[in-house]
Amino acid sequence: MASQIIKEWAGIQQFPAATQSKLLELLGKLKQENVSTLTILVMGKGGIGKSSTVNSIIGERAVAVSAFQSETPRPVMVSRSRAGFTLNIIDTPGLVEGGYVNDQALDLIKKFLLNKTIDVLLYVDRLDAYRVDNLDKQIVKAITDSFGKEIWRRGIVVLTHAQLSPPDGLTYDEFTSRRSEALLKIVQMGARIRKPEIQASAVPVVLVENSGRCNKNESDEKILPSGTAWIPNLVQTITDAVLSGSTGILVDQKLIEGPNPNNRGKVLIPFILAFQYFFVVKRIQKWIKNDIARESRPSWA
Amino acid sequence: MASIAAPGLAISVNRSHRRLNSSTKTAGTSATAASLPKLTVQSKLPTFSSSQNPKPSSSNPRDNSNIFSPKQLHNVIKTSAAIGAGLYALSSGVSNILLSGNGGGSSGGIGSGGGGGGGGGGDSFWEKIFSPAAIAGEEESQEWDSHGLPANIVVQLNKLSGFKKYKVSDILFFDRRRGSTVGTEDSFFEMLSLRPSGVYTKAQLQKELETLATSGMFEKVDLDAKTNPDGTIGVTISFLESTWQSADRFRCINVGLMPQSKPIEMDADMTEKEKLEYFNSQEQDYRRRIERSRPCLLPVSVQREILQLLREKGTVSARLLQKIRDKVQQWYHDNGYACAQVVNFGNLNTKEVVCEVVEGDITQMVIQFQDKLGNVCEGNTQYPVVRRELPKQLRQGQVFNIEAGKQALRNINSLALFSNIEVNPRPDEKNEGGIIVEIKLKELEQKSAEVSTEWSIVPGRGGRPTLASIQPGGTVSFEHRNLYGLNRSILGSVTTSNFLNPQDDLAFKLEYVHPYLDGVYNSRNRTLRASCFNSRKLSPVFTGGPGVDEVPPIWVDRAGLKANITENFTRQSKFTYGLVMEEITTRDESSHISARGQRVLPSGGISADGPPTTLSETGIDRMAFLQANITRDNTKFINGTIVGERNVFQVDQGLGIGSKFPFFNRHQLTMTQFIQLKQVEEGAGKAPPPVLVLHGHYGGCVGDLPSYDAFTLGGPYSVRGYNMGEIGAARNIVELAAELRIPVRNTHVYAFAEHGNDLGTSKDVKGNPTEVYRRMGHGSSYGVGVKLGLVRAEYAVDHNSGTGAIFFRFGERF
Repeated sequence: MASQIIKEWAGIQQFPAATQSKLLELLGKLKQENVSTLTILVMGKGGIGKSSTVNSIIGERAVAVSAFQSETPRPVMVSRSRAGFTLNIIDTPGLVEGGYVNDQALDLIKKFLLNKTIDVLLYVDRLDAYRVDNLDKQIVKAITDSFGKEIWRRGIVVLTHAQLSPPDGLTYDEFTSRRSEALLKIVQMGARIRKPEIQASAVPVVLVENSGRCNKNESDEKILPSGTAWIPNLVQTITDAVLSGSTGILVDQKLIEGPNPNNRGKVLIPFILAFQYFFVVKRIQKWIKNDIARESRPSWA
Repeated sequence: MASIAAPGLAISVNRSHRRLNSSTKTAGTSATAASLPKLTVQSKLPTFSSSQNPKPSSSNPRDNSNIFSPKQLHNVIKTSAAIGAGLYALSSGVSNILLSGNGGGSSGGIGSGGGGGGGGGGDSFWEKIFSPAAIAGEEESQEWDSHGLPANIVVQLNKLSGFKKYKVSDILFFDRRRGSTVGTEDSFFEMLSLRPSGVYTKAQLQKELETLATSGMFEKVDLDAKTNPDGTIGVTISFLESTWQSADRFRCINVGLMPQSKPIEMDADMTEKEKLEYFNSQEQDYRRRIERSRPCLLPVSVQREILQLLREKGTVSARLLQKIRDKVQQWYHDNGYACAQVVNFGNLNTKEVVCEVVEGDITQMVIQFQDKLGNVCEGNTQYPVVRRELPKQLRQGQVFNIEAGKQALRNINSLALFSNIEVNPRPDEKNEGGIIVEIKLKELEQKSAEVSTEWSIVPGRGGRPTLASIQPGGTVSFEHRNLYGLNRSILGSVTTSNFLNPQDDLAFKLEYVHPYLDGVYNSRNRTLRASCFNSRKLSPVFTGGPGVDEVPPIWVDRAGLKANITENFTRQSKFTYGLVMEEITTRDESSHISARGQRVLPSGGISADGPPTTLSETGIDRMAFLQANITRDNTKFINGTIVGERNVFQVDQGLGIGSKFPFFNRHQLTMTQFIQLKQVEEGAGKAPPPVLVLHGHYGGCVGDLPSYDAFTLGGPYSVRGYNMGEIGAARNIVELAAELRIPVRNTHVYAFAEHGNDLGTSKDVKGNPTEVYRRMGHGSSYGVGVKLGLVRAEYAVDHNSGTGAIFFRFGERF
């Protein structure tokens, strides 16, 4: 499928040594499990840092980002290979436009994904947005409707802008956990994951800080206010998700178009017709006969 | 517009059996008013004018037999009834006028029928009304003459001058038996043609007296005049009423069509034995006559009432018989038997009163066609076509009923073949007491063609119309009705707004209608219709939800052939099934074929990647499917408000023939109930009852569903308060509505609540137009309204946005 020449993953070089070794370790682990390609789909609202996250993972400015306007009008796949292992990250345009889910953007994404297998879905949102609303649910629903419920087994909720000072009276941990809880709930609702399934396959939450002002630890790794180095953490979560046993989602024509409702129940039509004749038409005819019998005749008749 | 004419029909049937006083000229014949429908049946019967008669009820009739003819007792009351055998004429036109028109006709008929009660002296009700007028015409032009006698003396009738015209100041009836005068409300007054302050000659007064004397009501009757000081005379009629033995049985028989027994003149010099034989034979004759007569329609309850009356009164008096006759005739006329009348009372003095009724048996039914000038001509319409519309009650052998006549009129009118229809009962001259029902029909022109034109001028740039914008438009239509006289018809029409360029918007329709598919004699009423049609409609599927600006419209053009068979079960309930073959083309605003709906992007641009408009996704679909529709409708109007139930089930069954082999089952069920909340009295001008309307509609489709066949929610006939399709377009829908109608004056106000739901099946329409155009998929509304003539003015609140608006709509929601 990918006919273009896949670039060498050079960006990995500029990660701090600790991160590099961690990443290589994880890649090795994947290779052990016979996973040589990893396709990551990044989705979410517009302007929340999807592209920046992609850039952060790749370690280079692979996708154009701008603070003030959408720079991703159509999906872009960034592919990098390193020691026989290929990493594909698909950056997508924001799914929201004018307060609604942008069906057109979704259609574009679907068409772009045709015949690709999605290994991991990164559902991106901001950590510093305090509230969740119906729109979030709509987005999750749109994603679910497009790719099926199964995609959430490979889904990871990524919260960007993780370096923040929480509102008064809350510790950072409290805030993050509440925010992720609220978002997960929306994801569960939007994805129509039933209660028992929630336990079985909890969607993991990863915090991300793409800003250059991100705090760093002694080994020059970008860390969150909680102290974890987030890039290895993110890759770790991705690896876990891939190795969790579920299969990736192959996007084919059928998945994009959904089940054709026009074909559903077609075989039943003869039976439906028979039912209609014997139980509806006949019934109404009987009523009419009763009406005729009951009709009040004029005195002269 | 229908107009009612009541051409006069005055026929006098003299049924004079046992006529003893043949010189009696009844006033009835002279009183026929030319302008009234009237059927006069008269019978002259023996009278009891001889003053030497003993009281008939005093003893055994046998004893009396040698004094006077006891058989005369059988037949006492001479009845002269004016029956308005209503003659209705109806010019073809709007059928709802028909009823009111009929009303006019029938009221005339019944009215004149009621006049029959005034009989007795050959003095009919109508005469009563018309005689003053007649007098006015003849005599009031001249002055009346003073009696020329001293005031306050009583003059006998024969002492009056034969040359003078006397003015009658007042009339008194003096009952000799009771020794008192009778009030003006007494039934005897109805028998009299004299009116106070009328001017009469001696001859007229004598005739009047004769009439009274021969009426059989009186044993003895005299007329005296009392002179007044002002030259007028007061008339006093002193009488002795006839009475007979009390009776405790009552029998009512139909003597219509029975040969009248010939009176055998009694020879004056018969011996006692001969007389006895004569009477015996007469009595036997009468008994046989009763036996041969048919039972009458008079219900037992009325007979019992009359019996009650007989028992209460004791002796049978002339007035009692008059009352009985009125009662019997009243029942007949109230029940529409306008030709029925009491002709005789027989078997008096025998404990039993036999009321002889001529009910008006139909001896013949004649269908007649008339040309434009009213001459009888040969019609194009075949007789069975008309005959099958006639109720059974108009057939030969039935008793004529005015309501059946009206029904026939309505039925024939609904054929829409005739410009003028008359149902006209006429006495059968050859068959006494019989009625010939004549149906006179004027046929409409068979062929008609019509061209209507219009010019449209569109202002161009700068507000001035350009020459090119002038477009001749119009409609050409033709109709060929009543082919082969079997009510088959072909009609066609072509409409365009531009004859120079008709391909732009050509609407055409060609239809062939073939009724009586099972033969005109078969009672099964099936009609075949085949048509070729086209239509253009704005698709409500491609409509925006609330807050969505303009959605570019999609026009759905359909053109095709249709053939179906309709079987009518009742006037309203029917079953239709047939085949439809059509081509559906979807076009955008500029008439270009569009395969997909368009949508406006938030940026303002338009993208043409909306939901597919057709199944084939090319913008043109062809398909053939079976269509069946069964309608059960038992609604009726109670004082102008509809009450009852209506159920409609419709199925479109795709056959897999057409673009993409469409195979589907699209069905909808509508149930509407109009529940009367209060019992009310029915009648014209009475208030209609409050009504609760419950309505449910389910629509669903299994299989291929192109967007133009998707069920849409919202609109004046779906969920009020929303625009057409504003709620959504789905595969399965449910609509529920309730409306409460309260009559106010002569209209009604109503409150309603409605809900429409897509049952989550919007996504099962390809392309999900509901979501693409940002519609909710479900919605409720409520509101109030008032009906103003044909227009409904209502305020409806749409529950999705919570805003209300006032709407004006034509027609009914349900």
